[in-house]
Amino acid sequence: MKRRSIVAVCLAALVAAALAATTSGATKKATAASITVWLQTDAQSGWPDLVASVNQKFQSDHPGVSVNVQYQSWGDHLQKFDATLAGGGGPDVIEMGNTEMTKYMAAGAFADLTSAKGQFDNSANWLSGLAKSGRYGGKTYGVPYYAGSRVITYRTDLFKKAGIKKLPSSTAQYVADAQRLLAQNKKKGFSPLYIAGTDWYVAMGFVFDYGGGIATQVSGKWKGLLASPKSIAGLTAFKNFFTSVSRASKTTDETHPNPYDVYAQGQAASMVGPSWFSCCVKPYSAQTAQFVMPGHVAGTSMPGFLGGSDLAVPVTSSNKALAIDWIKDFTSTSSEKTLQAKGNIPNATNLLGTTVNERAAARSWFVPTAKHWVDVENGNILRNMLAQILTGKLSVKQAAQSASDNIASVLNQP
Amino acid sequence: MRTRTPRLVWDAVGVAVFVVMVFPVFWMISTAFKPNEQIVSLTPTWIPLHPTLQHFRDAIHRPYFWVDVKNSLIIVSVAVALSIALAFLAAIALARFGFAGRKLFIVLVIGIQMLPQAGLIIPLYVVLARYHQVNTLSGVILTYLTFVLPFSVWTLRGFLLGIPKELEEAAMVDGSTRLGVFVKILLPLMGPGLVATSVFAFITTWNEYIFARILLNDQSKQTVTVWLSYFYGTSRHTDWGALMAASTLTAVPVVVFFLLVQRRIAFGLTSGAVRG
Amino acid sequence: MADGGSTAAAAGTLLGTSRRRRSAAARLGRGAVPYALIAPVVLTIALILGYPLYFLVRLSLQRYGLFELIRHQGVDIGLANYRSVLHDQIFWHTLLRTVVFTAANVGLTMVLGMLIALLLARVSGPVRILLSSGLVLVWSMPVVVAVQVWAWMTSYENGVVNYVLTELHVGDYTQHEWYGSTFSQLSMVTLLIVWGALPFVAITLYAGLAQVPNDLLEAAAVDGAAGWRVFRDITLPILRPILLILTSLSIIWDFGVFTQPYLLIGQSKITPGNFLMSIYLFEDGYFKSDYGRGATISLLMLVIVGVLSVVYVRRMVRIGVET
Repeated sequence: MKRRSIVAVCLAALVAAALAATTSGATKKATAASITVWLQTDAQSGWPDLVASVNQKFQSDHPGVSVNVQYQSWGDHLQKFDATLAGGGGPDVIEMGNTEMTKYMAAGAFADLTSAKGQFDNSANWLSGLAKSGRYGGKTYGVPYYAGSRVITYRTDLFKKAGIKKLPSSTAQYVADAQRLLAQNKKKGFSPLYIAGTDWYVAMGFVFDYGGGIATQVSGKWKGLLASPKSIAGLTAFKNFFTSVSRASKTTDETHPNPYDVYAQGQAASMVGPSWFSCCVKPYSAQTAQFVMPGHVAGTSMPGFLGGSDLAVPVTSSNKALAIDWIKDFTSTSSEKTLQAKGNIPNATNLLGTTVNERAAARSWFVPTAKHWVDVENGNILRNMLAQILTGKLSVKQAAQSASDNIASVLNQP
Repeated sequence: MRTRTPRLVWDAVGVAVFVVMVFPVFWMISTAFKPNEQIVSLTPTWIPLHPTLQHFRDAIHRPYFWVDVKNSLIIVSVAVALSIALAFLAAIALARFGFAGRKLFIVLVIGIQMLPQAGLIIPLYVVLARYHQVNTLSGVILTYLTFVLPFSVWTLRGFLLGIPKELEEAAMVDGSTRLGVFVKILLPLMGPGLVATSVFAFITTWNEYIFARILLNDQSKQTVTVWLSYFYGTSRHTDWGALMAASTLTAVPVVVFFLLVQRRIAFGLTSGAVRG
Repeated sequence: MADGGSTAAAAGTLLGTSRRRRSAAARLGRGAVPYALIAPVVLTIALILGYPLYFLVRLSLQRYGLFELIRHQGVDIGLANYRSVLHDQIFWHTLLRTVVFTAANVGLTMVLGMLIALLLARVSGPVRILLSSGLVLVWSMPVVVAVQVWAWMTSYENGVVNYVLTELHVGDYTQHEWYGSTFSQLSMVTLLIVWGALPFVAITLYAGLAQVPNDLLEAAAVDGAAGWRVFRDITLPILRPILLILTSLSIIWDFGVFTQPYLLIGQSKITPGNFLMSIYLFEDGYFKSDYGRGATISLLMLVIVGVLSVVYVRRMVRIGVET
C-alpha cells in the first residue's frame, strides 16, 4: 500500500512537471512581432480603457505588432528592471517615477529621445517639473506621462460648524481656523489639519515658500541649502504650523496610516495629499471638497511637490522605433485629456484646466536633479531631520545643518 | 500513582494559546467580511454583524485569479514532491552511510541556507535567462527546489537520526532486504518527519514572493502571491477588504493540505514498530 | 516478498536502488550508493546556484554599480569593497544589534515552541486538531499580509492593541506610538517573527515527540519518575538532533530576516540606527545599486552566520558520526 502511494506521488509529480513544461512554453524574445510595455498598477486600476484603446490604435497603425502590457508595483519594479538590465528580457517602454529617472539616466539606461522629441504632442509645452526630470546632460530621455500635486481635502460640514465662512488664504489664518475647529471637536487625537510628522513633501513646501531650498549646484559641486536663513525660517514655520494644526504622530510618514483613513474615522477636519484622496473617505463623501493650500503670504499658494511619471525606452530594447510610436500614442493630446478626466494633471501647460489639482500645480517645487538624489530619499535624511525637529530632540538649526551636510556629501559622491 | 494535571486544564490552556496565536488571522478573516466603513472605523469591530461577501467577489473577479491559483498549485506540488523525494534520499545517505566528501556535502547544505536571498536575485536571474527559464513555471520550480532542498535534507536527516539503527539491524537479522527495511520500518517512522518537512516546503513555496515576481512576467504565468501584490502595489488607495479576502482565499490550500496530512503525525506509530 | 518483485523493482527504480544498480554497487562495494543518493540534490544545487555563487564572489572584488550593470562589465578593485565594509562603523553596530536581536528571537522561539509542542501532546484529540490547525493557519498567512495586520493592530491611530489596553485601564494608550524608538520597533518585529515562527517549531517538535517510544514513557511513569525528570532524561536526548537542527535553522533565518522588519518598521523609518544585517545589505547594496558592495556584505553575512551557528552544526554533524 505504501509502495503504491509512493509510485503514485512520483507519477503525479512527473505529470505535473510535464504540465509545467508545456504551460511555460519558450521564453518570448522581443521580436518585431510584439513590444513589451511596463506600466504601474495605477494604470490597470485607474484607466484600463485608455490603455486598451491606445493598444488598439497602435496595432492598427502597425499591423502584425502586438502590445504586451505588464503591470508593475512601485515597490519592486526597479529591482525587476535591474535584473532585466543584467540578464535581458526587459521592456521596450517603461514607466518611471519622476524622482527615479536621474539615477538611471546618469547610468545610461535609456535611449536618447532628443531627436524624436518634436514628434510627441505638446512637447514644446511640457510641464517644466516633469520635463526637467526626463533630461540629463542636455539630452532628453523621458517623456512626461502625467503629474499630480497636493491639495487640501476638507470637511465642509465641520468647517461650517466651526464658523469658518471663508477658506483660509494664509497659513496664519489656517492656524486661527484650527483653533475654532479644535473648540468644536474635543476628541483626543483630532487634527484640524492632518499632516504626518515626517511628511517632507509638505515640510519642503514651507522651505520653498520662504525662499529657501534643498540643494543647489555651484560649479559642478552640490551645496546644501537647508541651513540657510530662509530655509530655517521655513522649517521653523512648519514646526509651528504642525504643532498648531496636526495631532499626527511626529515620527510617522504620510502612509502609515493613510491620511484618508484618519479622515474617514472622523479624526481630521482636513488633510493634505494628492487629489485622489477624495476617493476613500466613505462616510463623508458628500461633505468633502478640496482647495489649494495657502502659503504664508496671504493670497499665495503653498508650493506643492509635483509628483508624476515619465515614459522611457530602455537602452536594451530592440524595438526603439516602435516604442517611440507607442509612447506617442499614449501621450497624445486625446490620451492626456483622458488622463485629465481621471483626475490627473496632463503633461503640458496648454492642456491645463482649472481643477484644484491643476491650480495647485501652478506653484510647484521639485527635488535636485542629481544622480544620487534617490539615495537621499532612501536614506530618509529629510524625514529624520523632521522627526528630530518635531520631537525637540534637536533644534531647527542643528537638525537642518546636519541634514544639509549629509545631503551635500551624498549628492557629491562620484 | 501521582496525581496528573487533569486533561481539562490542558485543554483550557490549549484553547487559550489558540486564541492568542490565531487572533491576527481572525482579524484578517473578519476584516474580509466587514463592510468598508467598519474596516477603518475608530472603534474596532470584533465580529461584523452585517457581514458582506462583496470583498470576496471583488477578489475572485480580479483578472487572472484562477489562472494564478493553478500556476501556484502546479509549481508548489511539483517543487514539494521533488524536494521531499530528493531530500529524503540525500538524508538517508547522510544519516546511514559514511563516505568521503560527507562533511563537504553537509557544509554545502548548511551553507546554502546562510546565503542572504537578496544577494542572489540578480545572479539567479542572469543564470536562468541563459537557460531560457525566465517567465516559465519550470524556472520558478528549479529556483524553489534549490531553496527548499537544503532545509529538507537537514531536517529529514535529523528525524532519521532519531530512529535507532538497532530497529533496522533487527529487521535485517530477521531476513528482510534493505528495501524491505526501508519500506516497513523507516518510512512509517519517518511519517511525522516527512509530513512536517513537506508542510514547511509547501508553505514556503506557496508564499514565496520576490523570486516569483522577478522571474514571471506574464500575468497568466504568475503565482497567487504575485497576484496578491497587485492589491497593494499601487501608490493609490488599497482595497483592504479585498486584500484580506484574497489573502484568506490563498491560505485555504495550505490549511487543506495540512488537514489531509496531519493524521500522519500521531502517537503510537513508534510503539507499533517496536512491538511488531 | 514473493510478489514484491515487479513493484519492488518499480519502486526501486524510482528510489535509485534498482537491481541493476545494486549489482553494480555490489561490484563497487557499498561506496557508490550514498553518492547516487546525494547526486540529484548536488546536481540541482550546482546547476542553479553554481554560477550565482561564483558571480557573487567575483562581484565582491569589483566596483559594479548601475553603470557597470548595464554594460555587463565591472572594474576590478581587489579587496577594496571588503576594506570599505569592515571599516564602516555602521557595519559593526549593525552586526552587534543583529546578534542581540537573533539571540532574543531564537531563544523565545525555541522555548515557546517546545512548550507548545508539549502542550499539543497533552491535550485531547479535538483540541489538538484545533490548536494545530490554528498554528498552520498562522503559518500559512503570507508574510506581507501578516505584517499588514500587525501594523493595523499596533497602529498609532487607535489600533486594536491601543484600544484594548486603554479599555482594560492598563493605562492611557490612545495614540501610543509603538514604532517611535529603535527598541520598541525591534521588539514589535521580534513579536511578529516569533509568532510566525512558532508553528513550524512547535509542529516539528511535536512530530519529534511522536518518535519517543510510548513504552519508554509508560515505563518511566510506572517507575514513579516525575514529569520534569522524564522530559530531561528521556525526551530531550531523543529530541536532541531535532532541537539542534531547529536552533541552527532559527539562527540562520533570524539573522538574515528581511521582510518583517523592513515592512513593519517601514522603509521611511529605516535608518542606520535601526539597521539589521539584511536591511543593511539591501540598503547599502541594492538600493544604492552598489552591487559589488552588496555581494561583499552577502559573503560576510554568510561567514558570520556560519560562525554563529558552528557550535550547533558541529554537534549535529557529530551525532551522525557517532551512530
